[in-house]
Amino acid sequence: MTTKTLAPPSVPSGTGSRPRPSKWIWSWTWVGAFAVIALLLTVVGYLGAGVGSGHVGWADLLFESAWSPANSAYGGLAMIYGTAVVCVLALVIAVPVSWGAAVALTEYLPPRLARPLRLCVELLAAVPSIVYGLIGIMVVRPVIARIADVPGGDSLAAAGIVLAVMITPTVVAVSVDALTAVPDRVRETALSLGLTRQEMIRSAVLPLARSGMRAAVLLGLARALGEAIAVFLVVGRADGRMPTSFGEFVDSLSHPGQTLTTKLAGPEPVLAGTTGPYFAALCGLGLILLALVAAATIWGTRGRTRGATTKSAPRYRGSARMRLQRDRMVRTLRLGALLLPTALLVGMLALLVTRGSSAFNPSFWFTSATGAAGGGVRDQITGTVLLIAATGILALPLGFGAGVFIGVHASARTARVLQTLTIILGGVPTILLGLAGFVILSTTMGWGRSWLAGAIVLVPVVVPVIALTTAARVRSIPAELTESAMSLGLTRAQFIRSVVVPYTWPATITGLLLGLARAAGETAPLLFTATVFFGAPALPDGIVEAPVQALPTHIFTLSQDSGDPQAVTQAWGSAMVLVLITAVLLSAAVALRNRFEGERWTT
Amino acid sequence: MDHVISVRRLSVRSREKTLVGPVSFNLEQGSTTGLCGPSGAGKSTILRALVELLPSGLTRDGELRVLGRTIPPGRGDAELRAKVVLVPQTPVVFGGSVLDNALFGLRHVLRAPQEALRERAEQALEEAGLWTEVADRLDSPAQNLSAGQRQRLCLARALALEPAGLLLDEPTSALDERSRDKVEQSIAALRGRRAVLLVSHDPAQVERLCDTTVHLDQLTTESETAAVA
Repeated sequence: MTTKTLAPPSVPSGTGSRPRPSKWIWSWTWVGAFAVIALLLTVVGYLGAGVGSGHVGWADLLFESAWSPANSAYGGLAMIYGTAVVCVLALVIAVPVSWGAAVALTEYLPPRLARPLRLCVELLAAVPSIVYGLIGIMVVRPVIARIADVPGGDSLAAAGIVLAVMITPTVVAVSVDALTAVPDRVRETALSLGLTRQEMIRSAVLPLARSGMRAAVLLGLARALGEAIAVFLVVGRADGRMPTSFGEFVDSLSHPGQTLTTKLAGPEPVLAGTTGPYFAALCGLGLILLALVAAATIWGTRGRTRGATTKSAPRYRGSARMRLQRDRMVRTLRLGALLLPTALLVGMLALLVTRGSSAFNPSFWFTSATGAAGGGVRDQITGTVLLIAATGILALPLGFGAGVFIGVHASARTARVLQTLTIILGGVPTILLGLAGFVILSTTMGWGRSWLAGAIVLVPVVVPVIALTTAARVRSIPAELTESAMSLGLTRAQFIRSVVVPYTWPATITGLLLGLARAAGETAPLLFTATVFFGAPALPDGIVEAPVQALPTHIFTLSQDSGDPQAVTQAWGSAMVLVLITAVLLSAAVALRNRFEGERWTT
Repeated sequence: MDHVISVRRLSVRSREKTLVGPVSFNLEQGSTTGLCGPSGAGKSTILRALVELLPSGLTRDGELRVLGRTIPPGRGDAELRAKVVLVPQTPVVFGGSVLDNALFGLRHVLRAPQEALRERAEQALEEAGLWTEVADRLDSPAQNLSAGQRQRLCLARALALEPAGLLLDEPTSALDERSRDKVEQSIAALRGRRAVLLVSHDPAQVERLCDTTVHLDQLTTESETAAVA
């Protein structure tokens, strides 16, 4: 050990300029914040401009059911009806099961079982919707056809079931988050007062978790409303089916219908041009869809941020006898609710692995496709990787800037508004992003089908995920850490560079990976903007008229040819490859999150 | 000669009511001043008011002069905080090594060659009484230090800025007796060289370490709340 002698300071206490003032950090956060607003404005603006470009008869659009562009009849009621039916059906099936499963997962299962199951649920929630659509075509449709005795089985009921399967993992995952957020001492207190487990859950846990679990449902609803592709494949897309009596209503469930999203995902937007009443009517449908999704999103997030509101205390129903028997019965019921998601998980895995077994053959990954009949998916993989890489490069700085802006820069009110806008941007139905990209990039700017257009269109999918995970992490910076840094004379910009960025980057990268996992499976935005089924080079040269092939759109095209067994095999194999790619991205995100979330900075 | 810090009728208020003060005191060059009062009297709040780190929603009233310069409420900035350094109650260790922590404030505030910064950080460690304990592990993670060593590391990283005034918020409250003695030794060694404002709820500690004492008497706060009620 050495001892130092005190010498007068050899450096004068300077009043000169600071080293590395990092003022550029401000510009970065502002760019991020403006990007969120600009992206949202672009989508809304394109729809608004479209509506303005031709006369839209809103009364017809909302209250008439006949849709026939040839006769200038633009009635959207049947589509609104279709959307309502499939979403309500999805919720009716998914919500009780999901809530039951979430309660069973958090309250009944031992942690060593619950933790891997939770992870599985999160993985399921990230499975691309095109895969759910494929399962709908191959599994749900034939079942409906047999039960209801209708040919094909394309129906509103099939769409509702597919959506229910699709949103169940989301609702379970978010509900589980809400339940685990209830502190354990609440449970302990209730149990020590002599309540049975079921009474404890009903009287102590659920009241605190209620708003979060309601938010989970609204999030699921928003996903169901905005889903285009999975519905497109099974709903039949028949216009003008509008029941007028209860009998017709029941009958309509087992028959083809049309929803707002499937109308927009069909060929019509490409036929309608970019002006005129036809285009305007389609944009009107888009606006209705956007309004519905935004309403569900805002409602859901408001419930969650406001926290648990205490309503009147739950009344104790039934006699005090039989308490233990009832407890045992409820326990059985709740654990039973787990069966369906578990069966779903096992069933989906089994389906994917058995039918998509070609994905486990390396040559499938490394040879290029020969039409629908055979070959591998090499070019589709490179195309998907290119798209998400470009999207990631574009989205990372924007999402990070916006997240930091929400987290530290803005006043509480601005931050709240921007956070809400970010959530809405994340909820924008991706089919609308695709149409905006088609109209603005492909047509108006003349890029045609271009990989870069596809990457840009996917940016709004990824930016909100990055921004929200980043902002949440920034807000979790302990107050003492902030105070210690500020009290050492750092400017705010220096504080962001030296404290916020090192503290936050793992969350930012986690958000990036989660966002890319979602973007990799997106089909709807790419259909009109970036991909072709066949004939594009593995890597595009240039930007204009430079399409790629991508896995989700490949599956989409193949699965519409469900009569051809060759195409079906190819579709399942491609789906398995896509699921593996998303799983890799997701596992990396989860590993990173687990590694860094627990990291301690302070004592 | 100017006082390091001069405070006249300083008070802190929220939108509705006055929470602390008013208080008046001077912090002299080279002296250690104790700020005491019962818990809840707002001692920590006063310290934060001096460096403009009040939680949002609270504002400062009254006159604050640092080295003869008047700081209007809300106008204190990073430059002020580099001159009058607050050492918060909980010792916070940033990620990185011991030396990284000792350099943390300095490298943001002073433009100088790396060796000069390092030399100054090492002097600060010496001044905080930590040098002999960490000289051989400057590059090991600061997280490995004991609680008492962390507290002195926080002191060192404040001293590295060569501050005109040092505001210590209950520096020994979280420590056991032995660590407390070491931290107290370090604070005692600053006497005569730095202007120190020491917040403590322990009268004996104030007795041991301070030249003068400011009592934040609760009467003012009570009368204010009574007036509001």
